[in-house]
Amino acid sequence: MHLAKFFHLLAATALMATLTSCGDSSDPSVLVERELSTTEKGFNVVETSRERFRYQTQAPPTQGEATSGATGSGNPKLAYDTPEGWEEKPGSSMRDVNFVFGENGEGSCYLARLPGAGGGMVANVNRWRGQFKANPLTEAEIAALPKLALFRQPATLVEVDGPFAPGMGSTDTFDDYRLRGLILASSAGAVFVKMTGPKALVAANSDAFNQFVASLDVKTN
Amino acid sequence: MAKNSIDWSPGNWPKLLYQFFTSFKLATTVLFLMLLVTLFGTLDQVDNGLHKAKEIYFHSWFINETMGSLPVILPGGMLLMLILFVNMTLGAIVKVRKRWRGAGLLISHFGMLLLLAGGFITNQFATDDYIALYPGMSSSKVESYREWQLEVMPLSKDGQAEKAWLYPSDVLDTVRPDEQRTIQTEALPFDVVINGYSKNAMPIPTSAPMAASVTGKEIDGFKLSPQKPSTEAEQNLPGAYVEFRPKNGADPIEGILWAGSYYFDPREKPMPFTFEVGDQLYGALLAKKSRPLPFEVRLDEFIFERHPGVTTPRNYESRITRIEEGQPDKPVEIKMNEPMRYEGYTFFQESFGPAGSNPGDDMYSQFAVAKNPADQWPLWALVINGIGLGIHFIIMLVSYSSRARKKRSATEATS
Amino acid sequence: MKHCLLTHLTLLGLLGLTTNASARELPKVELQNYEPWEEATVHAFENILVQEGGRVKPIYTTSRFTLMQFSGKTTAKFETKDGEQHSLHHAEWMLDVLFRGEIAKQLPVFIVDDSEAVVQIGVSPKSRRDRYSYSELVAGRAKLAELSAQYSKKQQQFQENDKDEQYELGRIETMILTLGQNISSFEFLLGQFGFARKGEILVNGEILSPEFKEMAKTLDPVEMLTKMPEMTLDQLFQTVRQPVGDSEDERMFSDALRLFFFHANSGRGLDLFPPQEDANEDWRSSGDVMLEALEKKEVREWGTEQLGKIQAITNAQGESEEAFRNALQSFSDQQHQTAEDRGQGVRSEMEISLYRGQWFWRALYCFVIGFVVLAFSWFSPGTRFSKIMILLASLLALAGLVLDIYGITLRSIIRQRPPITNLYDTVIFITATAVLLGLIIEWFTRIGIGTLVAVVAGFAGMFLSVKYEAKEATDTITQLMAVLDTNFWLATHVTIINIGYAAGLVAAIFGVIYLAGRFICLLTGHQNKDLFKSLTRMNYGVICFCLFFSLVGTVLGGIWANYSWGRFWGWDPKENGALMICLWTLVILHGRMGGMLKDLGINMCSVILAGIVTFSWWGVNNLGVGLHSYGFTEGIWGALFSSWSILGIFLLMGVIIWFVERAKKADKKRAKSNKEAAASA
Repeated sequence: MHLAKFFHLLAATALMATLTSCGDSSDPSVLVERELSTTEKGFNVVETSRERFRYQTQAPPTQGEATSGATGSGNPKLAYDTPEGWEEKPGSSMRDVNFVFGENGEGSCYLARLPGAGGGMVANVNRWRGQFKANPLTEAEIAALPKLALFRQPATLVEVDGPFAPGMGSTDTFDDYRLRGLILASSAGAVFVKMTGPKALVAANSDAFNQFVASLDVKTN
Repeated sequence: MAKNSIDWSPGNWPKLLYQFFTSFKLATTVLFLMLLVTLFGTLDQVDNGLHKAKEIYFHSWFINETMGSLPVILPGGMLLMLILFVNMTLGAIVKVRKRWRGAGLLISHFGMLLLLAGGFITNQFATDDYIALYPGMSSSKVESYREWQLEVMPLSKDGQAEKAWLYPSDVLDTVRPDEQRTIQTEALPFDVVINGYSKNAMPIPTSAPMAASVTGKEIDGFKLSPQKPSTEAEQNLPGAYVEFRPKNGADPIEGILWAGSYYFDPREKPMPFTFEVGDQLYGALLAKKSRPLPFEVRLDEFIFERHPGVTTPRNYESRITRIEEGQPDKPVEIKMNEPMRYEGYTFFQESFGPAGSNPGDDMYSQFAVAKNPADQWPLWALVINGIGLGIHFIIMLVSYSSRARKKRSATEATS
Repeated sequence: MKHCLLTHLTLLGLLGLTTNASARELPKVELQNYEPWEEATVHAFENILVQEGGRVKPIYTTSRFTLMQFSGKTTAKFETKDGEQHSLHHAEWMLDVLFRGEIAKQLPVFIVDDSEAVVQIGVSPKSRRDRYSYSELVAGRAKLAELSAQYSKKQQQFQENDKDEQYELGRIETMILTLGQNISSFEFLLGQFGFARKGEILVNGEILSPEFKEMAKTLDPVEMLTKMPEMTLDQLFQTVRQPVGDSEDERMFSDALRLFFFHANSGRGLDLFPPQEDANEDWRSSGDVMLEALEKKEVREWGTEQLGKIQAITNAQGESEEAFRNALQSFSDQQHQTAEDRGQGVRSEMEISLYRGQWFWRALYCFVIGFVVLAFSWFSPGTRFSKIMILLASLLALAGLVLDIYGITLRSIIRQRPPITNLYDTVIFITATAVLLGLIIEWFTRIGIGTLVAVVAGFAGMFLSVKYEAKEATDTITQLMAVLDTNFWLATHVTIINIGYAAGLVAAIFGVIYLAGRFICLLTGHQNKDLFKSLTRMNYGVICFCLFFSLVGTVLGGIWANYSWGRFWGWDPKENGALMICLWTLVILHGRMGGMLKDLGINMCSVILAGIVTFSWWGVNNLGVGLHSYGFTEGIWGALFSSWSILGIFLLMGVIIWFVERAKKADKKRAKSNKEAAASA
């Protein structure tokens, strides 16, 4: 009879069971002190809850940031706030974000991203100027244009007034229009944000434009 | 055929128990129940995700669930494996008749016992964390995938801290969303009060339309909205309402803590909730539970390639250097299927980021870091088991074919 | 008696199949006649290399799967107005698409499973399920584009919103989406060499202005390349979209650019040109070459040379078929030269022979004929005739096995990998293993049962492989994702676990034969205890075999997981599936040892084993969770559930047998006790 062995084993089993059921749980009423290692010592002290909760973006970033090998996508998606009074229209192959505003929707603002440098800063600024029958600028003049942060990088701000001929198949010309646009060109890609419309309307929506630009971020999930 | 009557007298109980625990019936039943648990635990992952299904079905003693409208009441995976362990030890090792014919099976059961024991040790003692680094960065700690702890630290004006006081994840996890818990610390001039902790939450600005339906208190333009826990437990971002009550009687300071303020990208720094008590600046934060490593790891280079023209990754690998007491070791390569094993830790190439990166971008590399005392046990178990079963089937095949040959020659002789 | 019946049924079924196929009417096309390509021309064409899915392969493969995608078949069959019937091989069809677009547009290759889909895009329907030509569908082109864009968005939302049912595509919607994608791919193929054919604008010609078409007749985009300023795609795009200026010069320039853009855009998709630099691995399509050469002057010389090769082919086509053939051959030769320097396309001839040989089809025939021959042996069991028939059937099964293994070997050599790298591979591999197991058992037993198992398994497996390939309609020689990129584990864990699957399925076939046999005996009152005893014994052996391989395979998988993911066991669905097979075989073996399972029980359990194997093999991949979902197949659940229902029927037979047996036993017992009672009285 192996009864003795059997009881030994039973006792061992019971011990194992107790081991599993009560782990090394901590005292729920006190905090525990710990030293921070060199890489942990720095913190980012931010002013507002808005920043702390990453609310320059609409969607909360999630832990899914590090993609596993199986996934991985091309163009990341954008997150942004829609300014008051602006109406979002479906984008197109060229336009990632597309808004209209004004009483009859005569104002428009879109964001387009292109792979590659998109033809370079000078060509693009002058292309826009050309649509308003404005003289081309030299490279130095363009370098001196004001900058605005777009995706946390300095983007060139272009403002032009004049008769606007949008092109793209249309032969119409709109008088007394204004363009307010941003161009960000790097070897990684080019981003254009372009707002056009009647001068007064664009002027009135200048803040909304800035607000939209500031809210733009790349979705992390 | 007389029905065998069972002697139920107390003196006979050990014998009955022994019979019960050594029986084939028990083995068959337990194996069958394990099959059911495995099936339900697999199907449940569709709705509840791997982590939760694991807790409910496999790491549990009893299961009492409903799947769809089907009630699932079963012994849990832990209990079954424990019974199986006992049953196998007593039935297949202790009780079994020792004879040459059974040698193979005896050996293979030893292998299975080793496998189960290894599983138990892994479950109890192994740790499973990660570390993410950009090239040039180094670190000597690993972080948990899903365990969060509350940390409070005195901060200098430029955001530096030397020490932190933490509320460990195992006890933080027990705070319910509607529970208030006060925690004292002698070293700090205030008490920490948690006013509800949600395992997955999102701060909603009160200006947002959906904020109206959120019941929580508004603090600094935000309310904390509890969310349904994600099926991927790693995706959960917990949140808590906290209150700091200065011991000098000054007004309490309230705040919302959210795991999203911790960092996602290894170059980011955590963004604590900050407040002043006396003249000292303090920060409070939900941070991932971290464990120190006995050595430092520096990422030298990360290589990422895709198959031409498609998004399937072909290869990603990291070149790292271990640094011990300031002395760099020689560089090591970690890639898929080729982990680095060192001082009981195993570093695996797990993934990379940020999301949407392409070959050539500035990317970080993420390693899973496991420490498992039973790391190699399954291999030994397999070897033992394979040998055992191999011996057994050879014995069986030989006896079968010799029987078949005899039988065939017998029939040929008769015909 | 029953054997005769079975044989007759089988023969009738086979006869029905063949007559049905030959009597079908072919779709009629709007072509007076069709002049086929000379065989030599097709041969010169088929070995042209294409990079697709991360791999360089012969266009023979590409055209095979493209036609399969469009049409569900690898040949295009039709009848011309002169009453001639034609059957085009996929490579011939591709030649038409690329070089005789006007003919290709008339060929009925787009399968529509429900005519409702074409009604919705405003095209007049043919039969309920039918094949349409491009020119038949072109009337609904705009509507089709609109709807498929809409459904594609919906499908994306479905994926992004945790498969929210409100975004799930309906049956017709899915068909329209697929049709839209197919039509669009077809248009890209049609326009592929448009740049090399002055004035011939095949796709969307109706939206272009007459002046534009006129210009297209004289303008050579390749010649243009040498004269234009450097421009990025964006600049080109912007310029094309700018309003046309006032002067004639500006209009000309703008139209020329537009034409260039048009051709470059249509010329994308078929990556024929190995890149100039050695370090670069992405092959280029003619469209890519045009755009790159436009952007960078230093690429132009190389670019015009590449494009010139295509022009040489189209020019030669105008001369004679022989000239055309030579041009194709010289293009192909040059391409192979460049590719082989990079170590690519080396085994393209072998790949063509793999598909041309149709080894798996041939194996399927062997198994079917083997089954029929075997059925003859049942006419007179035990006789010399029957023994010869069994031998013949075994040889046919062996031939099928050899063909299957030959195909598997070719595939392994082509991609330089162990036999199994994806779900399709598992089908042909498991079939081979199951047939081999059946034949080994036959070798030991010599009663025809092993052969029966072999031909049934062979037939089912090969049939499944053909169906699966047609359903997926994508290249089955695929590239491996990083985690699978290890020949050692692929050769060990993956192979062993699939041998386990095969054994589980073979056990189930034994179980099914046993149950069906017992059930028929029950109905007819036959007795054949010895046969059933030996069936169970064989089945028991196979179950042990299954346990050994499943267990070793599962644990090996755990060890691999420990090497690459850092944990031995994670309760991942695929792991659980393998575990369930191990557990169930352990239940059977321990149940048998403990006396709980007798012959009937073991056989019933082995039928259930098949259900678990199919769940583990196909089901868990489609739960949509876990790390192992390498082979995801839409709509597999229907097939799985029907296979489980069939298994259920056999189990039901088992239950009936059990009840009848029990009643008989009880009767006997009662009779015995009555007798005893009578005796004692």
